[in-house]
Amino acid sequence: MASFRKASVRQAGIQQANIHNTAAVTLILATCLASAAFAESKKEYRFAVGPNAIVSVDTQYGAISVKSGSGGQVIVTATLKSDNVEVDQQQSGNRIEIASHLLQGANEQTGRVDYEVLIPPDATLNLHSSIGPLSVEQLHGDLTMEGTDAAVNISNVENCHIVVRTMRGPITLAGVRNGHVEIATISGDIHLKSVTGPLVLASSGRGKIFYDGDFGAGGDYKFTTHTGDIEALAPADVSAEFRVHSVLGRVHTDFPLLPHHSRYSMKAGSSFVGTAGKAESAVVLRSFSGRIRLKQR
Amino acid sequence: MTCSEVERVLPELLDGASDDAFPPDFDAHVKSCPVCSHLVSDLKLIASEARQLAATEEPAPRVWVRIAAELRAEGLISDSANREPESAPARPIVVPVPVPGSTRWRWRALWLAPVAAAVLAAGAYVISYKRAPQVAQQAATPQVTSPPPVIPAATPPSVPAPAPRQMAEKSAKPSGFNGAGPVEEAAVEPEPSAEDQQFLSVVSTLGPSTRATYENQLKAVNADIRETQAYVDRNPGDADARQHLMDAYQQKALLYQIALDRIQ
Repeated sequence: MASFRKASVRQAGIQQANIHNTAAVTLILATCLASAAFAESKKEYRFAVGPNAIVSVDTQYGAISVKSGSGGQVIVTATLKSDNVEVDQQQSGNRIEIASHLLQGANEQTGRVDYEVLIPPDATLNLHSSIGPLSVEQLHGDLTMEGTDAAVNISNVENCHIVVRTMRGPITLAGVRNGHVEIATISGDIHLKSVTGPLVLASSGRGKIFYDGDFGAGGDYKFTTHTGDIEALAPADVSAEFRVHSVLGRVHTDFPLLPHHSRYSMKAGSSFVGTAGKAESAVVLRSFSGRIRLKQR
Repeated sequence: MTCSEVERVLPELLDGASDDAFPPDFDAHVKSCPVCSHLVSDLKLIASEARQLAATEEPAPRVWVRIAAELRAEGLISDSANREPESAPARPIVVPVPVPGSTRWRWRALWLAPVAAAVLAAGAYVISYKRAPQVAQQAATPQVTSPPPVIPAATPPSVPAPAPRQMAEKSAKPSGFNGAGPVEEAAVEPEPSAEDQQFLSVVSTLGPSTRATYENQLKAVNADIRETQAYVDRNPGDADARQHLMDAYQQKALLYQIALDRIQ
């Protein structure tokens, strides 16, 4: 009886070991198959271009990062997350178009292509990605960036026309000088730090707008939200005329503004108009029901 | 082989060309590309159905001649390239099921552009339509245009300001689309318009989660429009509110435009 028990225990042990071995082999196989299916590959494309080239990059899933490179050349490094996606590239004279091409069965993971792009600083750039992020730095050509949920980051650019549109993606601009800026988002937040230029327009339906800068360059600054709050931080020596109004929200300012004539009716607590310094720039902060704060740095 | 190269040789399918007539890498591309694969299968179906239909009942040749003339008059086909001899056998017109990314799909999605423009136009109309009573009101009670004597005219920091969204909901919001309103308000949420329904049906081809995202955004934008419209109705003299109403319509147009870009 005892020997029978010992044999049963031994057999059970062997069966358990077999199960463990089978599981381990299955796991290894699955890992191998998964790694084969998600085989990441990297491709590089080089294009010779003249001055003021136009570069477009369009990817459904993936990040796009663009930096300033040497003049006369565009270098695109694409990291493809699987064989379920291809990169289409085309050059027509000075125009270069790069696009991700999803193949059968591609999804957000397997269809992802991340791009790192070096372009001449004066090139015009068009970027599109649904999930992003999109980032651009150190350029002075015109920029158009669009993304559904993509976060958009632009830094250290100058003398350019910037157009950004997102549905939910947050938008951040930092170090933009002499820019003609047009930003629109449905529900994304907008962060502007040291952004100046002759025209700076920012509009968000449900997102918030933050500005930290000196409202310089004698420009027009117009920030609009529907329900989102607006917060602007400026130095004490700011030179601007402010018109601030929230239809249903509250407004507040730290600045001792001088009264200024306005054709609009003023309502205490929800609007004010006044000037600071020489009033070189015009600043309009508008919200339907958001709160607006103009704070002194 | 690229998608555009495939599209160029596709008309051969309608003419019943054999597989040898296509470039050697045609099959490989079609197998790997879902868009071209759908397109080819659609065209093959059309070609086979067309052959059967031609053998059965077909309209008189003058019908096709008239259709061709109409299409030429509307500029949809060119005069030289697509004109068929009047004696040519009749060919039925079959509209294939569009697939995302295909040329036909792009054409189908193009309705979004005029709709987006229509949204803006509707917004502009609504706003200008409301202007008449405002002018009358202004004539009766001229508004004070001088600024208040003390600047800033803000609420003292010690006084807690009411939450702006709560204020908006209390005073203007006719329904609770964003989930913050009372429960009974959500019950009166209006049905989506025909344009919105068509918008959502097109967007839904991008996947259920994408549809849900766009639907939520659309509801939010529509709620903003209704909220602002209700306020403007009560305060027709508020020029800034009218501008916000226009902004809200622009937000909706932007949503349509973003969807259109993604589908193209």
